[in-house]
Amino acid sequence: MLKIKGLHASIDGKEILKGVDISVNAGEIHAIMGPNGSGKSTLSSVLAGKETFEVTSGEVLYKGVDLLELAPEERARQGLFLGFQYPVEIPGVSNVNFMKTAINEQRKYKNLPPISAAEFLKMMREKMAVVEMDNSFSGRGVNVGFSGGEKKRNEIFQMAMLNPTLAILDETDSGLDIDAMKIVAAGVNKLKTPDNAFIVITHYQRLLDYIIPDVVHVLFNGKIIKSAGKELALEVEERGYDWLING
Amino acid sequence: MKEKDYKYTPELPEEFKCKVPLPGTVQAFVTNGILREEITIDGGVSLKTHSGNGFIYEAKEGSCCKESLQVISFRNSQNTNDISIENELYFRKGSDSSLLLCTHTLSMDKFITQEVVNIEVEEGAKANIVVMQNEHNASTHKVDFRLSVAAKAHIKINVITLHGALLENDFNVKLRGEEAVCDLNGLYLVDGKQRVVTDISMNHLVPNCLSSQLFKGILDNSSVAEFTGRIVVAPHAQKTEAFQANHNLLISSNAKAYARPQLEIYADDVKCSHGATSGVMDQEGLFYMRSRGIGESEAKLLQQLAFVYDVLEKIDNERLRKRLYDLVESRLRGEFNHCENCSMNCC
Repeated sequence: MLKIKGLHASIDGKEILKGVDISVNAGEIHAIMGPNGSGKSTLSSVLAGKETFEVTSGEVLYKGVDLLELAPEERARQGLFLGFQYPVEIPGVSNVNFMKTAINEQRKYKNLPPISAAEFLKMMREKMAVVEMDNSFSGRGVNVGFSGGEKKRNEIFQMAMLNPTLAILDETDSGLDIDAMKIVAAGVNKLKTPDNAFIVITHYQRLLDYIIPDVVHVLFNGKIIKSAGKELALEVEERGYDWLING
Repeated sequence: MKEKDYKYTPELPEEFKCKVPLPGTVQAFVTNGILREEITIDGGVSLKTHSGNGFIYEAKEGSCCKESLQVISFRNSQNTNDISIENELYFRKGSDSSLLLCTHTLSMDKFITQEVVNIEVEEGAKANIVVMQNEHNASTHKVDFRLSVAAKAHIKINVITLHGALLENDFNVKLRGEEAVCDLNGLYLVDGKQRVVTDISMNHLVPNCLSSQLFKGILDNSSVAEFTGRIVVAPHAQKTEAFQANHNLLISSNAKAYARPQLEIYADDVKCSHGATSGVMDQEGLFYMRSRGIGESEAKLLQQLAFVYDVLEKIDNERLRKRLYDLVESRLRGEFNHCENCSMNCC
């Protein structure tokens, strides 16, 4: 589903990604771990199409298509989702309107008519239940006045609404207490099917107790220095990154 | 809304029907400064011809007449001279009424209009005024709002400026009686070479009054917006609360926003604040929306609507607010020429 080959990316002339290779198949969950500043968030931003980063070389094939050629909205319409580490507040745009606009823009792209009001409300209710979000959130401005945990739950809610093929969750667990983390993890597990895939970026092994990865990658200094099964996360938790960096 | 819900004053040509008003609203028309027909509404509101150009509005003592009257004032080819209009609005003791004032231009002639609106809000009266300005690219319109607000009176004015070559709204407010409240809000959308000027002089003459100002604008192309907001607190006007905010969103690097907050405070026990910003689109926000599949232009539109949202929220009447929200949206989409619900052929 996703093939990243020799990806180099920089910001303001500073190279952050120095040749990343990852291959993700449908039905898989990949975890990307790594110390601060290793390039984890840069990788997710580049995949989602943030224009502040410049891709200097390498390629990313998503469902056989050159992902880097697509605008951020086109990537989303083709089933890519980025769960933000720092979700943006949009005062004045209610969650309902935001989601309705997003869904209808995606439907328009697929030559589908706009979603009916009844169908949309039903979907809202169902998906809010997935992340145990209160209905009062729907009328509030996107992320406005939300606590850190609520913002992250809102990301998972949006993911549930948009039903992506490939979801990248950028440190969705940071700033979450254990209960909120369980809710987020349960949301991911409910949405997982043999046809979709997840890339979970995290600092801590803790989240991986709830979302069991098929592959764990360690990113350091812009490169994947180790890829292995879920046991790698446990080893990192126990021994830190030094043995990998120096080894 | 169904057609039959509206009441129109008689003998008005059909083509002037405006669908902004709410059910039960009575419309009055002012053509080139001349009131076409005097009106009296049950509940104590009347609209009469001013001895010069213009009209006199009166809400009688103790009357309660909400969402009652819309005055549509337009310029057309019948008189392309520069004109002066003087309107007087009296909100008598203890009255409670609201008024929608719309100004339009119906032909592409060059117009210069000078207007004075004297507003007297008597003790304990409540006045709620929405001003909607939608004029074409050769219309210069200056409005002087002169307000005198008595004790325990409450006036709110929301000005929505959609279009016009040079539109100037000046407010001179005198809070004369204790516990008077004045709430002034404005939204201006300018593009091309349009210019919108707002000049406010908020005078707290006595203690215990409250004033607040929220003015926001979106500027595109080479447009200009100027905002001057002066708050003067007299030496004895203790316990004054006065707030002012002016925020501009610049879509184009050629647009210019001038903000001049001026506070003159001569009392020592007051709560006053002011804030002025000029900013550009939030790239993080745009990326967030695009990452959800929302196209770039739609994302920009959403952000602009979000920017003006809090000013529109100041409009109390929900249906009117919704209507103006739609107008603002179609203005921002650049669809004004085919606004389905309006027969005014705006701009």
